[in-house]
Amino acid sequence: MKAFYKIIISDYKQRTRSYAFLVTLAVSLYAAYSFVPPPAANYTTVRIGNYLGIQNAAWIGCVTAMMTSIFLSLIGPFLINSSIKKDTDTGVGMIIATTSISNFSYLLAKAWSNFLVLLSITGCVFLMSIILFFIRSDGYSFDLIQFILPYLMISLPTMFFIAALAVVAEVFLYRHTMVMNICFFILFCILVSWQTNAQAPLDLFGVKPATTTMHDIVSHRYHDTKDDVTMGFIFSRKKEFNYFLFEGVHWTLTDILSRVLWICFGFFLILFSSKFFHRFDIKQKFKAKKKIKLSEIIPPAKILQDIKLSALPPITSAFGIMPFIKTELIMLYRKGPRWLWLINLGGMISLVFAPLTTAHQMILPILWFLQVGRWSDLATKEKTNRIHYFTYASYKPLTRLLPAQITAGIILALVLASPLMVRYLFKMSFLPIFSIIMGAVFIVLFAVALGIISGGKKLFEILFFLFTYLNIERVPIADYFGGMNHNANYLAFVTMLAAFLVFLSFILRRIEIRHL
Amino acid sequence: MELSIRDISKRYNKEKYGLKDNSLTIESGILGLLGPNGAGKSTLMKIIATISLPTSGTIELDGHNILQDPNYIRKILGYLPQDFGVYANLNAYEFLEYIAAMKGVGGLNLKKRIEALLEGVNLIESAKSPIGTYSGGMKQRIGIAQALLNDPKVLIFDEPTVGLDPEERMRFRNLISDLAQNCIIILSSHIVSDIETIADEVAIMQSGMLVTKGTQAKVVSLVEGKVFEIFIENAELSDFKTKNLVVNTSRQKDNVWVRYISNNPANGSKAASASLEDAYLYLTQNKI
Repeated sequence: MKAFYKIIISDYKQRTRSYAFLVTLAVSLYAAYSFVPPPAANYTTVRIGNYLGIQNAAWIGCVTAMMTSIFLSLIGPFLINSSIKKDTDTGVGMIIATTSISNFSYLLAKAWSNFLVLLSITGCVFLMSIILFFIRSDGYSFDLIQFILPYLMISLPTMFFIAALAVVAEVFLYRHTMVMNICFFILFCILVSWQTNAQAPLDLFGVKPATTTMHDIVSHRYHDTKDDVTMGFIFSRKKEFNYFLFEGVHWTLTDILSRVLWICFGFFLILFSSKFFHRFDIKQKFKAKKKIKLSEIIPPAKILQDIKLSALPPITSAFGIMPFIKTELIMLYRKGPRWLWLINLGGMISLVFAPLTTAHQMILPILWFLQVGRWSDLATKEKTNRIHYFTYASYKPLTRLLPAQITAGIILALVLASPLMVRYLFKMSFLPIFSIIMGAVFIVLFAVALGIISGGKKLFEILFFLFTYLNIERVPIADYFGGMNHNANYLAFVTMLAAFLVFLSFILRRIEIRHL
Repeated sequence: MELSIRDISKRYNKEKYGLKDNSLTIESGILGLLGPNGAGKSTLMKIIATISLPTSGTIELDGHNILQDPNYIRKILGYLPQDFGVYANLNAYEFLEYIAAMKGVGGLNLKKRIEALLEGVNLIESAKSPIGTYSGGMKQRIGIAQALLNDPKVLIFDEPTVGLDPEERMRFRNLISDLAQNCIIILSSHIVSDIETIADEVAIMQSGMLVTKGTQAKVVSLVEGKVFEIFIENAELSDFKTKNLVVNTSRQKDNVWVRYISNNPANGSKAASASLEDAYLYLTQNKI
């Protein structure tokens, strides 16, 4: 039991001592602050038709717990989805495999550690919600239970299930992080769409008891039963709402059992996946499954021959960046499973045939999001593959390699967006074309800058996921590719942001190159 | 060619130094760097390879300050780091093309040169397979090939023989000897015999400082007359070790043969001729 506890704590410490965790925490706190909008705000987070709750302890506690449950289900998996991979990459897994720990115990320890990471963020958001109460409550009395109960009943079971699901995804998709991230995104979109449907079969986020209570209050007191509860950042100019008094959720035994059931389901998934866990015997499993082609068999190594440097063909100097761009494009192409290119192709075709607005606002951000794994390590793969000793000691790495990486990333983005740009070209609409070009430049530079700052790819993955979701939800501030009819000033703003990211990337990489 | 290192220090914090006031001049030929783990060998090599900046000091290559103008040495540098990786999705040919681009090497002969190097390191048959499928030794050969891509004049090899079998190590030593005729080669290794057979000069480092540098004969002379051999009882060995710097032991039927370094040899000891390994241990163990 002590060893089990040690694994959880060590793993937890290792992961919370990262930039990605700190940035996710900061983003979460900012998001928490926005979960309870001030009366003058141009958006709402939870509302029933034209009704909003009075900002008392019950409302603030419940709304922040509901939004935390959804928000952390969105970005949490990206933060915690590589706990087993880390053990594989570092070789620690090989040591673990030789110990007496069972597959189930190991996976459960990983799930607990995932849960603790999410719990830490939830804890900070919980404290933020109490602070928000004292800022926004307007004289209503403080009731701690109205904060504790929603977090306990809504957020915590969701966090545990997400923690378990991340482990299970790693067991089955350990070779395909990109596919894993895309699956999380799709799953999240499905689950969110179910929240607005009262007949939906599953309530992972645990918000139904709360939304049902809210809806009942409005329909009974105001006899207004037309509208369902809407959740998420909904922007509108309308500021005249009716207010109702929400006094908290009465948690029935069924509600409690349904939440416990999600925790049990999480345990079951871990138990199930433990039967299929590779236990770090990855290469053998791979070979056993794959029919090896003759061309793939590596001949046994022969001894070195005598090399006469003077007898080698003479060299010519070539300091251009084209060979870099070519290799970077090859690596971008080969990253991830080949069948993902079929999806990319499908996405490009739908950019041709879908209604123009849908193509620009919905398909393009999703198509670009599918490249998350390709862009996220664009400028960090030297370090993760330990090539940086070569690259940083090469001739002018700052002005040759980094521009080549950025260029290759932008080429990929523009090739994918090309059908849409051609459509705009036929319409003689040039502003959207420039917006798409700047969007491509921005997102690639964003990946490069965040990669260099954090030294890894997770931070970009989390924020890109968030950006994509906010774009699908049509949150204007997240629109980096001009999908929502912006003017030239907005384009100039994105251009300035991109210029800042270039500046930041080059300055930081310059420091990095000389300080290994 | 002359590489002049003057008062190089690398300070991590108030108390911790990676390197402390090291000065040495390296001319064409092979300099073997010896030292225990944490002695500062890799740090010094990284600074010469311009991927790490010292806290103080200067390094000049033929009068050019390479800390201010790192690209001066980078054009003619071949560097094999101790712990390098590869892009698993590229094959050997593509990887070397990529490294060639970094080094600013191109032209019509590049393909032939890569093929010649791949033949030299005996990877031509697997050159089209992804490097991710290579064994550790094969990856090490790729590392050796990339270091030679750009006709280097300064070669830095950090633990180059790791992963190579004894015969390959011998071949590698021959290769280095051949290259050394008009290059500066700096070679670090834990295996003293690798250095012993090929290095023109030896530098021994400890705790971030250069302990000594000179020809092998000069370094070995520091321990001349201090190396002895003796047969002792098995039970006496641990006590003997506490009083003397034991270099080697060999268990016999009833007793144990001991080679050791001492200023005051035990009774019954026979003087032995000193080797580079004796000198290395004498200078780094601080026991006598």
